[in-house]
Amino acid sequence: MYAELHAHSSYSFCDGASLPAELAARAAELGYEAFAICDHDNVCGAMELAQACKDTGLRPIHGAELTVSDGGEPFHLTALVESAAGWHNLSRLLTEAHADTRPRPDQPPLPPVLALDSLLERNEGIVCLTGCARQGALPGPWERGEPRRAEGRARRLLASFGPERLRVELQRPMWRRDRARNRWLAGVAERLGVACVATGNVHAHDRARAELQDALVAVRTHTTLEESEPLRRGNASSVLAAPAAMAARFAEHPEAVAETTRLAARLSFDLTSQLGYRYPGAEDPEADRTLAEICRGRLDLRYAGLPEAAEAERRLEDELAVIRKLGLSGFFLLHFDLLELAREVAVEVRGPDSARNLLPPGRGRGSSVSSVVCYLTGLSHVDPVRAGLFIGRFLNDEISEMPDIDLDFPRDIRERLIPRIHERYGRERSALVSAFSTYRSRGAVRDLGKVLGLPPGEIERVAQVADVYARGDEVERDIAEVLGEARAGTPRWRWLARLAREAWGLPRHLSQHSGGMVLSTRPLVDICPVQPAAMEGRQIVQWDKDSCADAGFLKIDLLGLGMLSAVERCVESIAEARGENIDLSRIALDDEPTFEAIRAAETTGVFQIESRAQMQMLPRSLPETLDDVVVQVALVRPGPIQGGAVHPYLERRRLLREDPGYRIPYEHPTLEPILADTLGAIVFQDQVIQVAMAMAGFTAGEAEGLRRAMSRRRSEAALNAYGESFVAGAIERGVERELAERVFEQVRGFSGFGFPKSHAAAFGLLAYQSTWLRVHYGPELLCALFNEQPMGFYPPDSLTHEAQRRGIEVRGVDVNASAVECTVEPRPGAEPAVRIGIGYVKGIGAEEAEALVGERERAGPYGDLAELASRSGIGRESLERLAWAGACEALGHPAGSAPRRDELWRLGVARGSERRRGNAHAQLALALPLPAPPELRPLDSWERIVADYSSTGVTLGEHPLEILRPELEPGLALCGGLDRVTDRTEIRIAGMVVARQRPATAKGVVFMLLEDESGVVNVIVPPPVYESCRLAVRTASFALVAGRLERRENVLNVLARSVERLSTPAPAGGEVRQIEPPVHRETGRDPEHADAVAEQPAAAAAGGGRAREIAAVAPQPHSFGRRR
Amino acid sequence: MSSRPQVYWPKPVEVEAGADGAPLRIGGVEVEAVRERWLVEDRWWTPKSLQREYFEVVLASGRDIVVFREPPDGTRWYEQRG
Repeated sequence: MYAELHAHSSYSFCDGASLPAELAARAAELGYEAFAICDHDNVCGAMELAQACKDTGLRPIHGAELTVSDGGEPFHLTALVESAAGWHNLSRLLTEAHADTRPRPDQPPLPPVLALDSLLERNEGIVCLTGCARQGALPGPWERGEPRRAEGRARRLLASFGPERLRVELQRPMWRRDRARNRWLAGVAERLGVACVATGNVHAHDRARAELQDALVAVRTHTTLEESEPLRRGNASSVLAAPAAMAARFAEHPEAVAETTRLAARLSFDLTSQLGYRYPGAEDPEADRTLAEICRGRLDLRYAGLPEAAEAERRLEDELAVIRKLGLSGFFLLHFDLLELAREVAVEVRGPDSARNLLPPGRGRGSSVSSVVCYLTGLSHVDPVRAGLFIGRFLNDEISEMPDIDLDFPRDIRERLIPRIHERYGRERSALVSAFSTYRSRGAVRDLGKVLGLPPGEIERVAQVADVYARGDEVERDIAEVLGEARAGTPRWRWLARLAREAWGLPRHLSQHSGGMVLSTRPLVDICPVQPAAMEGRQIVQWDKDSCADAGFLKIDLLGLGMLSAVERCVESIAEARGENIDLSRIALDDEPTFEAIRAAETTGVFQIESRAQMQMLPRSLPETLDDVVVQVALVRPGPIQGGAVHPYLERRRLLREDPGYRIPYEHPTLEPILADTLGAIVFQDQVIQVAMAMAGFTAGEAEGLRRAMSRRRSEAALNAYGESFVAGAIERGVERELAERVFEQVRGFSGFGFPKSHAAAFGLLAYQSTWLRVHYGPELLCALFNEQPMGFYPPDSLTHEAQRRGIEVRGVDVNASAVECTVEPRPGAEPAVRIGIGYVKGIGAEEAEALVGERERAGPYGDLAELASRSGIGRESLERLAWAGACEALGHPAGSAPRRDELWRLGVARGSERRRGNAHAQLALALPLPAPPELRPLDSWERIVADYSSTGVTLGEHPLEILRPELEPGLALCGGLDRVTDRTEIRIAGMVVARQRPATAKGVVFMLLEDESGVVNVIVPPPVYESCRLAVRTASFALVAGRLERRENVLNVLARSVERLSTPAPAGGEVRQIEPPVHRETGRDPEHADAVAEQPAAAAAGGGRAREIAAVAPQPHSFGRRR
Repeated sequence: MSSRPQVYWPKPVEVEAGADGAPLRIGGVEVEAVRERWLVEDRWWTPKSLQREYFEVVLASGRDIVVFREPPDGTRWYEQRG
């Protein structure tokens, strides 16, 4: 009856309010047989549609609504794909449309546009519809009173597409001139001898999304709902309607309705089978032999004389046989080639003499680490034979998808490697994978609050409270808590809550994946459109990692791992500061001081085992070997936590320590060899596969299918089916039903994310290496962490305080001592100190910092402020920032003067003359010394902390809590003194919130890390306490916690009974004034907004005095939570 | 002399509608033809949201007028100066 040939999904980015899967499901439910998504100038949602249509009976049709120009106003044409040739052409056309959208890197992109001539030249396999009712090729000029121009365009299209592949598109958006326009269009079609076709221009799958579509239009056009009225659709008729309703809507054009199904039947291109993708090397007839030669040659080198040699050779031949069978030799050779390229790049980046050259250019992670082929070709640095890694998850002869090979690189090598790969394989054959930024609560509140015209200050207050990872349905409560129930009940705020809920999870814009890259034998632009990324020289395909995987693309993850960069920097600065060349691959793996630190959870700043949860567990698991660390790394993941592995593992470790003869209770004897390393618990992802194979007789492919069902968009139905097979298989092998079901429940519990052992082995080694560096070269590691921010669990301020507590000296930024980055300064007879770099001062650009340091190195230290200003070549505002950060204090001050204030005063004197000249950013050229400042009061400790936080984000002197202490209630406990407090004592404790976490696996429990002048403590906030203190838990920078001290196996926690924002008396001299809201009748102000003004002073009065003052500039706590 | 802008407020009107919702008679005069039919659903975020179905019709008398029904499935009809 009717097929929908023109629908927009949310991949039209703010011009579509439903995901392809939502549209597909609804279309199938309404009885459609075919359905086309034509997003604006992209096919981002095409693969998602193709996958969503599987098993629904709905046939997906692919296309795009193209923005086209013939020299005048751009217009729209609907391009639908008929055949594989059409898809290739559409890909090329979309690539061309985006080619010039990034003339200036890091600026917002220009809108894509395609020259009409390009479309007319390259359109085989594409069916062209003449476009939408508003901006279509024909309706646009018709509306402007230019029907001849419209008909001229139609004739040009006809000449190129012919009557078979051109249709005049009729739409019925329920606007005033619909009938007249469609009558005219039908007339044009008749004169041209072309058929008409009806389309719905669908923008939402459900009526509940119609308002969101309106709001998104306003977001896209940077206006409010009021202002965007001419651009919106004006009604809800763009919601997907039933075929019969659509046929009724076009009652005057029954032929156009009939044409929808005739045309749909012709559009038979299948995206899942007709892409024609091949990876480079796939066709190489010599690939099998070449790969075998490389591996066998290296096997002799690596394993000569080792006891594992025979086992390694057997595994190599097995792997090579599977690789040959699957035709994947070219795939491994391609990776080998990439790594060789990375080696070249690493030498260029590091320089020929760098201590870093002892390190490999990158290292594998993920399941590929279990492969001996990967080990021998250099893709992995872990010997899988010695480490006992299981290959099945990575490679078995039943795999249906390309294996994953993830490579971690230091950030600087990765930055250089990506463009080099483009050069090596050609820009047409390589591109990065895209990622879609999706709406979460905070962004939705900001975007949608703005278009609703709500007061910006209030929007921001609500946004700050919104839980970034919570689903949108909490926004309503957030609004009520921040603004009060009465205000939350007003129409616009109610709409904000509803729109935020509807928007949650919808893509907002296209960005670049963290490191996934696709390579292709035939030009990629034939297979998926490629467009420039925000970063210069980079380009991305229009598909994200899931769509690329569904397309069977070879995706290589080139990941930039901050800790690898930090480790490299650390090795380099050890060589510089102490003259020692460290080869991390040769350090002892049983270093006792390192393990002592791990067991005591003194792991702040190291890789993986620094998190709050890891620190909680280390004193209980007490790792003694690298293998223990590997298990530890994998243990704190959603899979093992939900699967109930944590407690049995920790308990059995304790029992084993107390009684080495303790026998691990295995559910079944077949599980013992698989789970022996993890004491009977399922900790690694590959153990799931092994358990399924050993206990239920699954083949490797079936077991891998089970793993995939568990981890990727897991489906309850598929898991249940696997459960039945598991139990049946186990019973067949003599296992009792009850036991089989119990084991499968453990497997099912693992359904969250977990590490394969190989991945944990790679990460565990880096965790150990970074701890080793922390223990033996603490200042160098700290310095490296400073320079690689942002990374890890703790902000630099917390890293600083922790380092100071263990005796590392951290020195402030100094124009006569600091380099651009943070550096290590040797101290005779003592551990080196860490110096904060000039570049750490907020607002100082890299060029200015380099100029300042370069001049100092060229002509010696700066004598005074005047000299600094005239020689350094940096501008006035940057000088002020340096002065405020205390970087000029070393330039000399008489006793009793006021550093920072003096310098600001003197720069202010010069500023007056600069202002008069009207040059705000001019460089100061103080040829003559400035007069001495008047007597100024030195900054007190509090003002200095505020200055530190607002300039570098790090304070080196007193801790804020130390200064607040006299103003706080007496008798508060100190973090550093809790080990002397009796278990289960009720305490009150205050601190700066360093991190907060609300893991999905913790059933609503929130964890906060509090820091005071003596140390840190973990606070556990149970759900009822969170519910009653939600605002403080989520937003307080300084908190006062009342609760009970809990001590379990060397681990201290405070179990909170209440959490409140820390408040102190307001500083003297401050005055809180009540500002009356304006009278509504007189001003005509929207009464909904009236409370906004009154709220501000009330909030200030509720205040918190100095704590509130510093909270405005204090480092933001790192928040971690539930992801989608 | 004041120069207040003239506002053409919609005037309530008697309409007899057919099964498909389109007017058959307006103010007792037969509808000759429906020229256009459209929907306005807007200002939903304000206390006064708009939900109207409009018809531009030609009456048997030869007049071309615009009427709307608010809400679209309701029975209250208004004439609006086109």
